[in-house]
Amino acid sequence: MDDFFSFDLLTATLRFSAPLIFAAMGGLLCERAGVMNIALEGFMLVGAFAAAAGTYYAETPFAGLVAGMAAAMLAATIHAFWCVTLRGDQIVAGTAINLLGVGIPAFLLQRIWGTPGGSPQVERLPGIGAGLNVLVPVALVLVPIVHYVVYQTRAGLRIQAAGEHPRAAASVGIDVVRYRYACVIASGALAGLGGAYLSIGDLSQYTNNMAAGRGFIAIAAVIFGNWTPFGTLGATLLFGAAQATRVQVQALGLNVAPDLIGALPYLLTLIVITGLVRRSDPPAGLGKHATAE
Amino acid sequence: MTASVRYGARIALALALVIPLLAASVARGLAQDEELVVTVVTDTAGLGDGNFNDLANEGLIRAETELGIRGEVLQSLDATQYQPNLLAGAENSDLTVGVGFLLQQDLDAVAAGLPDEKFLLIDAVAEAENVSSVLFREQEGAFLAGIVAARTTKTNKIGIVGGIRVPPVERYEVGFVAGVRTVNPGIEVVIAYAEDFEDPALGKELALAQFNQGADIVFPIAGRTGSGCYEAVVEKGEGFLVIGADRNQEDQAPGQQMAVVKKGVDAAVFTAAEQLVNDEFAGGVQDIGLKEGGVDLTNLGAMVTDEVAAEAALYKQAIIDGKFQVPATDADLATFTAPDVSSFATPVATPSS
Repeated sequence: MDDFFSFDLLTATLRFSAPLIFAAMGGLLCERAGVMNIALEGFMLVGAFAAAAGTYYAETPFAGLVAGMAAAMLAATIHAFWCVTLRGDQIVAGTAINLLGVGIPAFLLQRIWGTPGGSPQVERLPGIGAGLNVLVPVALVLVPIVHYVVYQTRAGLRIQAAGEHPRAAASVGIDVVRYRYACVIASGALAGLGGAYLSIGDLSQYTNNMAAGRGFIAIAAVIFGNWTPFGTLGATLLFGAAQATRVQVQALGLNVAPDLIGALPYLLTLIVITGLVRRSDPPAGLGKHATAE
Repeated sequence: MTASVRYGARIALALALVIPLLAASVARGLAQDEELVVTVVTDTAGLGDGNFNDLANEGLIRAETELGIRGEVLQSLDATQYQPNLLAGAENSDLTVGVGFLLQQDLDAVAAGLPDEKFLLIDAVAEAENVSSVLFREQEGAFLAGIVAARTTKTNKIGIVGGIRVPPVERYEVGFVAGVRTVNPGIEVVIAYAEDFEDPALGKELALAQFNQGADIVFPIAGRTGSGCYEAVVEKGEGFLVIGADRNQEDQAPGQQMAVVKKGVDAAVFTAAEQLVNDEFAGGVQDIGLKEGGVDLTNLGAMVTDEVAAEAALYKQAIIDGKFQVPATDADLATFTAPDVSSFATPVATPSS
């Protein structure tokens, strides 16, 4: 088993986890402010596409990074407008964003490059060795920052108030709408980074639907982590480790069902949601509005 | 806004959306009298998969330019779109092509309900009489790739990264393993499945893990997941090789593609379109391999020596001549014994009976 618990397993875990950390931190901020966010997958796809396109045109992946964040922030603004200003159904809005996230890049690929399915290859973000790219440490540093913002700053406490009891928050003069907008848009920026991680960090092109469900896994990580930044980090690392283990098992040709290992974290998430292990404690005001209509 | 104004606005909006669609479909109906239309319905990997969906589209484009038909492509974002796409194709065109094993059940259902329409199904067999089903003997091309890979590997370890183990993927895998074993049973073939045709990041990790365990060649049979394997090969650099499935993708790893197992999905689509134009289209099952030019080993890289290429050519001729059968399933592989290359190395020595 010496081969098994190797340095490669650790780096693969980090590579699988990094995009999940970005998206999950975004989802956490959004939900702590009381807006449900199942649109992470769509944000990631839009971000991944814009990152590849930005890199292609500006010829530097750093411009792609900015483009990826900006495009996902735009998508997030639509989500915020629908959910916060129009008080629309947050699940429906998220579903719509996810469909747009698949459809719009596919449409633009055809229009811009005439290559359905995938963009041309573009330059990647610089690596830091061991097959990791520069976004991996950024993802890890992000977690204590989110923790600090949510628990130690005035803005963070107001975000929590907006998420726990929006009407009470509004009654003491907190601009719930503004905080919610800020958090939803921030979640777009972070999930967009997660998408950029895929298209210009780990790989060097956008391909259709390349997030492959990672946005939904990030939602599961937020729930598993009980809406706390470090808990969520733990969940993303667990999910990443499960994927890395599955890959390692297959590479070693071990006689263990790889699908079972891959499915294990989601099984755990289901058990957590059902409350068998501990009480799931979502923000009390999730999906509620600050004022009665 | 009063309720009636809102109601009126909604009707106006609905009309604004519907009228252009109606106009378009009327225009299409008028145009249809003049030209034959062929519709390709992709599986979920869709156009840009670098594999058989792209090949089907290439065949369609060739038919457009050479036969003067009009081609349409309907992409399926998920499996629930197969049936509506096939129905739309059948209603609006003269020949509807279902690309891939995953469309088999839906194509069967649609074709049975529309017995006057014509269908082509790639990689699977449909029951209905109005369907022409084309199966490829991928195992024969993959067998040759296995021969070349076994002679080219320096580490005696080769990886396969599959998408989902549907029958055509199984045929690729089994044929490749048989080829490797024929040359050198001591070579280890490591097999990993992504269970996904659309996750290049996962494909990259699967290939990297195989390389980190000592493999130096990877054979992706995984649609867009496989493009991640090309990225892994580029990242590992010199000495690491990739084998293309279905179609040449050398631009993704210049100088590091060992060979391509070419699959003639483009030719199948073109031929069906040609039969349609000549009014010769017929249902039934075609099973095409090396002999019929349905599959082949092409685009040998510079790292493949002439000797190895010659050896592969020898096996190719033997398969074409029916000297031995390449296994297509796990069961075949279990009972497979490697053919003796010396028995067909000198064809003149064996008298014909």
